Amino acid sequence: MSIQTLEIIRKRLEERPEELRQARKNGHKVVGWTGYNVPEEIVHALGFIPVRIALGGDDRLVEVGARYASSKTCVFIREIVGAFSENKDPYIQQTDILAFDATCLQNYRAAEVIEYFFKKDVVVLAVPRNFAEDDAKTYFVHEANEFTRLLEERAGRLLDNATLGESVALYNDIRKTLKSIYTFQAARDNVISWEEVYDLIQAGDLLDKKEYLSLLQQTLAELTELQHNPVIEADCDSRIFISGSLIPRGDRKLISIINLAGGRIVGDDLWSGILPHLDLDIKEISPAGVALGYLNRTPHAALPYLDLESDRRLKKLHELLSQSRAHGVIYHTLRYCDPFTFKAKETKNVLAKSGIPLLEIHTEYAGSDYEAMKTRVEAFIEMIRIKSELVEEEAA
Amino acid sequence: MGKQLFRYSEDNKAKFLESDNITFNDGSVVTPEEIWDYLTVEGPVKYPGTYEINLSQGNRDSRDETLPTSLKTHYLSLTFSARMEKAKKNGKTIAFIQGGQAVDPYTAADTIALRPFLVGQWYHGREHGNDIYKSVLRRKQSKETAFHDMSFEACQTGGYEHVQVGDLPIDVVAPYTVLRCSDVSYGVEAHRHGPNKDVKLINVDFPMRHQADKPWAIEYFARNLKKLVKTLDEARGKKTTEDDLWRAIRLHNEGRRLGTELADLWWSTDIPPTNSDDRNSLVALANLDMHGDVQASLSVLKEAKKIIAERVKNGVKGHAVTDNPKRLFILGSCVGINESRSEDAGAIVVGKDDQWSHCTSLVEEEGDPYYNLAKATLEYPYEQSIEKRAQWTIEQIRKSRADGVIFIHNWGCNTQAAVSRPIVDFIKRETGIPTYIHERDLHGLRDEQEQNRVNAFIEML
Ligand code: SF4
Ligand code: SF4
Repeated sequence: MSIQTLEIIRKRLEERPEELRQARKNGHKVVGWTGYNVPEEIVHALGFIPVRIALGGDDRLVEVGARYASSKTCVFIREIVGAFSENKDPYIQQTDILAFDATCLQNYRAAEVIEYFFKKDVVVLAVPRNFAEDDAKTYFVHEANEFTRLLEERAGRLLDNATLGESVALYNDIRKTLKSIYTFQAARDNVISWEEVYDLIQAGDLLDKKEYLSLLQQTLAELTELQHNPVIEADCDSRIFISGSLIPRGDRKLISIINLAGGRIVGDDLWSGILPHLDLDIKEISPAGVALGYLNRTPHAALPYLDLESDRRLKKLHELLSQSRAHGVIYHTLRYCDPFTFKAKETKNVLAKSGIPLLEIHTEYAGSDYEAMKTRVEAFIEMIRIKSELVEEEAA
Repeated sequence: MGKQLFRYSEDNKAKFLESDNITFNDGSVVTPEEIWDYLTVEGPVKYPGTYEINLSQGNRDSRDETLPTSLKTHYLSLTFSARMEKAKKNGKTIAFIQGGQAVDPYTAADTIALRPFLVGQWYHGREHGNDIYKSVLRRKQSKETAFHDMSFEACQTGGYEHVQVGDLPIDVVAPYTVLRCSDVSYGVEAHRHGPNKDVKLINVDFPMRHQADKPWAIEYFARNLKKLVKTLDEARGKKTTEDDLWRAIRLHNEGRRLGTELADLWWSTDIPPTNSDDRNSLVALANLDMHGDVQASLSVLKEAKKIIAERVKNGVKGHAVTDNPKRLFILGSCVGINESRSEDAGAIVVGKDDQWSHCTSLVEEEGDPYYNLAKATLEYPYEQSIEKRAQWTIEQIRKSRADGVIFIHNWGCNTQAAVSRPIVDFIKRETGIPTYIHERDLHGLRDEQEQNRVNAFIEML
């Protein structure tokens, strides 16, 4: 069964670079952004075209990036730097301004390196490490205002609240619709796969936001027609949840290995997946209100939190695992991605207490570890399958 | 075959005995006689490894025995572990911090601030009688534990292996989360799952990106410093006053000034008055945290400045320094090259940006002490944008008349590694000085391959 809107989206993505080129010819400016706490609504409300800079899976670009940002930087950032160096990616080519944040220090360093070597105009939003504290929020509000001021300078106009309100409403609708669509992929007899939804989420990084919303709504209508009442329940499948370092467009190595090994992905808490779209509650229409909405979401692993018991990242992981009825977690860590590698063992121990197994896959974009990854994933899925069959038998 | 051990020569004893005492925080004093006795009798028994003549740890043969302060820093290192145990017994609060930060607020709160290297030194110094091989093995074993609990890609494990698994009685893990160090905040966070639940945790949040020009960033960091002091006060059960902080700032400014003057003296002559090792260990005293006792560091620093001034005046060349050595300036992570082996290859290390950057940042002595401290911290040259940092580095390179620059980045030190290329590029463009980026591998093995690369660079110079 295929969802027709997904085809339309694929086609629109093919056309998008040319569309951006035309828009720039007509005087529009494209802002390439990356960073978990970049408040995209502000970029949008200032009349810029936001495009997310997130690409992976190309080992050659990683090599190129290493010439500028060293071989010890995470592979994701190395690839981005490599892509700026080559300037062949159709989206990177179209960026006029870059908006980065300092949630992850490596992301921040990428901003500096790209600014230095490729003379890009970069605006950086600083992010406090002690994000949960009131002082940090006060500081972040100042930073958000400064970030807005720098973008206003580049836009040649001031941000007005009415426009910001419209952008917030548009983005809220996008998030709401995505959440509804996401439920379908985890359901029994699902009419859409997690992989399709994942691509759909990432399409939103690049497409025009209004058009994207209408395409999402169309998708949701199709899904509802096909499946009135999606029921999520554990079955004999090996229901896998993916966590850890982001998996951007271009990188599908781990996902395809899981599929080949017979695992069914039913959820994620990836920064490149559903997570950033959850729990974003903007209480006030202002740069500060939007920025705080971002900061108050489930925190990114790059921001340290010193009390294990009340860690909202782990709580969210538990919540999503239970919603998706996943049997196990594949925890993806990219080479030199400190935010996630440092937490791998701890996350494993925490989940073990709830009886959920976790497999860490530490990888990079080279293909050389493919077979080793495959063997480990296969063994993990097999283990999960046996375990869930036993549970079923006991229940019967 | 027995190992060849270094011994201090009796020929230098008489002169050494004429040198100054070391005065400690608690007012106690150790005389040169006692130091000599320790270095020649007790030290070799407790720590034979540090007396081994071994190329990988720096050839002890090249220790300048005619430089009294060199013996004193050696003494302070060897007695470090015992002094920490004693301080702890006497109820002193001890905090884990980060290298590359000043320690004024810790001093104000009567707390000993230990950077990662010192936490390791304390832990490993508890065991006596080890030769180099055993010491290295022990260090690797404890690091393995941290790698296992966190990530093998970690450089900075926040002392986890010692505080949690090794049971070192640290009261507070409280570093500045400066950008210099990619891993420190993750290291602090890791303590939340360790077996030593009692250790208090705080990240003193150092904001990023042109922060020194932003009043709100300075205020934010100042509030973080207040929280730090409050946390230290809770740990020690006493309140730190503003006067305490002013006193600490003045004391540390004195250290910073002395350190800068010492470095300027050293740079003022073409004949290096000490070898690289000694220069390094003396300039490092400026932060006053190096030996877990600010007063002890200060007293050695004061004496060192006098001696260096005299050596410069008399044109004395440092021990084991070759004629016309190639002058190297080292940048990057908190690690260095093997200085004595590089000297053998015809070079001398004339400066480093790490440990030096924050010594050059004096704190204003009037106004709000927290604000001033925050402002000075956010102005650390090492933490600035690529261009600003490189520009400051160029000034240091010019002052020190360096012939070549090595940017060294440690295993796992992502944020230094990431800017190594642009910084070196900037310096090269502006000065034309040859540069080289040195990547240190896992475990930081100072092995032949690493040294060969450094030697090749020296040869090229
Ligand atoms: S979170 Fe990990 S993958 Fe993402 S930028 Fe940071 S280090 Fe790289
Ligand atoms: S090597 Fe780098 S990451 Fe490690 S402690 Fe030093 S500055 Fe921090």
